[in-house]
Amino acid sequence: MSLLASASASGQVSGTAPGSGDVTPSRKRRFGIEQRRNVTGWVFLLPAAALILLMNFYPMAQAFILSLKTGRGTRLNFADPLWYNYQRLMQDETFKLTVQNTFIYLIVQVPIMLVLALILANLLNDKNLRFKGLWRTAIFLPCAVSLVSYSLVFRTMFSTDGLVNDMLMGLHFIDSPINWLGQTGTARLVIILGLLWRWTGYNMVFYLAALQNLDYSTLEAARIDGAGSWRTFWHVTVPQLRPMILLTAIMSTNGTIQLFDESWNLTQGGPAYTSMTMSHYLFELSFQKNPNFGYGAALSYVILIMVALLAAIQMKVGDKRD
Amino acid sequence: MTRALRRAPGYLFLGVSALLSVLPLYFMAVSATNTSQDVLASRMLPGGALVENFLALVASQDVASAMWYSTLNAVVTTVLALVVCSIAGYGFEVYHSRGKDRLMSFLLLAMMIPFAATMIPLFQMFASFGMVNSTAAVILPAIATPFLVLLFRQSARTFPHEILEAARIDGLRELNIFFRIFLPTMRSTYAAAAVITFMTAWNNFLWPKVILVNNTYQTMPMLISNLRAGYVTDYGVLMLAVLLASLPTMILFLVLQRSFAEGITGAIK
Amino acid sequence: MNKLRKFAALALVVPLSIALAACGGNGTASAPASTSAAASGPKSGTLTVWCWDPTFNIYAMNEAAKIYQKDNPDVKINVVETPWDDLQTKLTTLAQSQETKQLPDIFLMQNNAFQKNVINYPDLFKDYSQSSVDFSQFPQGVTAYSTVDGKNYGLPFDNGTAITALRTDVLKEAGFTIDDFTDITWSDFLAKGKVVKEKTGKPLLSGQAGSADMIMMMLQSAGASLFDAEGKPTISNNAALLKAIDTYQQLVKAGVFAEVNSWDEYVGSFVNSNVAGTINGVWIMGSIQSAKDQSGKWAITNLPKLDGVDGATNYSANGGSSWAISSNANYELASDFLAKTFAGSKELYETILPSSGALANWLPMAESSVYAAPQKFFGDQAVFKKVIEFSQQVPKNNTGAYYYEGRDAVSAAITKIVNGTDPSAALDEAQKAVEFAMK
Repeated sequence: MSLLASASASGQVSGTAPGSGDVTPSRKRRFGIEQRRNVTGWVFLLPAAALILLMNFYPMAQAFILSLKTGRGTRLNFADPLWYNYQRLMQDETFKLTVQNTFIYLIVQVPIMLVLALILANLLNDKNLRFKGLWRTAIFLPCAVSLVSYSLVFRTMFSTDGLVNDMLMGLHFIDSPINWLGQTGTARLVIILGLLWRWTGYNMVFYLAALQNLDYSTLEAARIDGAGSWRTFWHVTVPQLRPMILLTAIMSTNGTIQLFDESWNLTQGGPAYTSMTMSHYLFELSFQKNPNFGYGAALSYVILIMVALLAAIQMKVGDKRD
Repeated sequence: MTRALRRAPGYLFLGVSALLSVLPLYFMAVSATNTSQDVLASRMLPGGALVENFLALVASQDVASAMWYSTLNAVVTTVLALVVCSIAGYGFEVYHSRGKDRLMSFLLLAMMIPFAATMIPLFQMFASFGMVNSTAAVILPAIATPFLVLLFRQSARTFPHEILEAARIDGLRELNIFFRIFLPTMRSTYAAAAVITFMTAWNNFLWPKVILVNNTYQTMPMLISNLRAGYVTDYGVLMLAVLLASLPTMILFLVLQRSFAEGITGAIK
Repeated sequence: MNKLRKFAALALVVPLSIALAACGGNGTASAPASTSAAASGPKSGTLTVWCWDPTFNIYAMNEAAKIYQKDNPDVKINVVETPWDDLQTKLTTLAQSQETKQLPDIFLMQNNAFQKNVINYPDLFKDYSQSSVDFSQFPQGVTAYSTVDGKNYGLPFDNGTAITALRTDVLKEAGFTIDDFTDITWSDFLAKGKVVKEKTGKPLLSGQAGSADMIMMMLQSAGASLFDAEGKPTISNNAALLKAIDTYQQLVKAGVFAEVNSWDEYVGSFVNSNVAGTINGVWIMGSIQSAKDQSGKWAITNLPKLDGVDGATNYSANGGSSWAISSNANYELASDFLAKTFAGSKELYETILPSSGALANWLPMAESSVYAAPQKFFGDQAVFKKVIEFSQQVPKNNTGAYYYEGRDAVSAAITKIVNGTDPSAALDEAQKAVEFAMK
């Protein structure tokens, strides 16, 4: 927590804080304006903050208390020791496996997806590109489709006699059909492909929106200086997109560590839990198996800590006001 | 000539990406016109069962009602979310202070915990308000999300302070600066936020399913879940329902995408 | 100051608009009617029911309502369509948040989930001891699923009796008839399956890779379970389980059982004639019959039995569901309604069978002429009568509260065994996993 706070607080060493313009009225008055604006800011963010506190933090506090209790169903009692559920997680082989799976998805999929999204957004932002709307729509649409059709389509495509096997066999890459969801490696691959397919366009949309807010003159200047399109992209566009890249990185990290849909719908966590994610396991513990809500709540707090740590690191690296 | 050649890799990359993206959608659309048996055989050509599937769908499910409640939920959520979160994001960035930065970091924690863990306390809370089975209970938790607040804060970061100062010197009040200057400038961010929020609200499944205990306000994802529940699934009918459920988000994107990027027309309009 | 006032106004307006929205769609919770007339005479009131399949149990419930309404015209049945997964999530949420007053009067529950729910959430249920339902008219193997501490919590609805369904045209091509697959053992089945595969290129069976369904059916057919009567796991050194896994492996290796990726692909495999049959609960007949072009080409029989296992039979079950009365119910009305329909109306079962394929567990139906009618799709076999006969011979299965944990641990073990782990070592591991879950 404090890491997060200090990360963003340290970022505000900038000369553009409101009220610090070059007009220098009397000290007292300036302080008054600043204070008033500060209050204005608080009022602006009050409704959102109040709603988030009520709708998220109250249940989160309840969940924390729950994580100190043990027992099945409604027969819950405070555990002895209180952190028993957290201890138990450390001995849970299935949990360890789901942590491993989740981090494989995170490390492989998130960087590929964000780079792809950036490249696509940059290509689409070209003034002279033809059929812009068509490309944009096509690439965004996967995330607009409901999960049911997505999982059904993917399972059909990757079925034993499905499109993917037919194509690979037609190209003589393989001799016999691959049982995609039946093997650990390929099952994980299907999940990663599914994530890439569904979320690349989504992230692209944020980059497109950010590119729209960019200072065009800097790009023009780079072009006049004779910088190639790659250099312009890397040295001029990307640094300016940093706030948005940070946002998408935090969101994707968060989304992947809490990943549920793909594990649940595409592979059902199989084979033998080797593609199951932490959130999927949490849902199973709470709603599918003998309900163990205290244990589930402890697991959710472990997820929270993991995401918070990664977000803090990302903010430390990427959150600079300049 | 050389110029066209230099563009070729870009077009190729876009073309392949677009094709891969659309292929499953094509399958969905085509399957809506096929019989269940053909869908299971991965038939990739349009068939003649569209009318049959449609009649079977409306005979077993109240599609019109589900479409209406999905639309109601998604529209109300989106409008409220955009107002509440954008003004908060603006407040966090334009008036930023150490305290506000701390609060933002703290609020971010709210999105880092899986919903399955907080669902039951949330349900208890709404039950104590007497709000089980109300659409308001579906909408309220979705209005303010740390994600949207952060999105607007990050976007406000690119909002030039010179404009802000100029507006203040012109004597504009703070709220007016937000509505008259910030909001129009950030049109593309609002468009992106609207699409994303609408989509999330539209596809929201677990919470509506739990809080809407009786089915009066059933939404489209709940309806689709019904179609898969039995011993026998009619895949043609299912794909038609899925297609219908996907249309509103697609249409919204088509309408709003004009705001995304009409080529860079300059930093400040 | 002026500015501040404006902000204050805004701060008021935003929550107000939210409050307005909150009022917009306020629904009224459907409080189950508690108005019931005197013990005798026509009753009145509304019963809310949760179940999930419009062509199957919802249809059956609505037909039951019509029959009950003949004598009790003032009784209304309000069915809320709720898929099983969602129903389980709702039950858990309501129980965990102690909001049992949101429960319907009656809900349908998967047989395998009964023990788990009754043991963990006794507050959700009311048992049948105060009702007039005669449970001796149901197969003991079926009522056992929903019996906890000697009390009945579920009225069996749909039948989960396992059948072997085969394509007679394919069998004929290989020189067999359905009789060659009746009352046989798995080693017979394997030998004949190899011949069919050789002559026609088609496997006899298919199933999801990593699913334990087939093995669980084999296990139950020998009267064995993953748990003992006290609910303790009996996975390691379970002779019947080892034999079942061994049999399964041989079937897969010989190509007689085709492993597929998903449930949809499994259904597709026989609907599209890629395999020549299937073994599953009788409810699979609904999916089989969706391939209208295969009418007359199917026949059913009992299951092969495990070789060399004590108590092995040719009968098993998979799935099935039962009606539960909730703790929030108008008990008198709900129990009377169920007793007079699902546990007392031949007319009901004779109506729902032909149009929905919902096969009764209620034993008096064995004498029904509707059940004895030949079915064209299955080559004029009287399939339904046959299944009722099978159902009485299905051995009892101890599901225990931890059935799903046990089944999933065994699924994981199968995957490991297929990949080369020693079977008894993999089962020991599964046993440990279940014991950990129970800790």
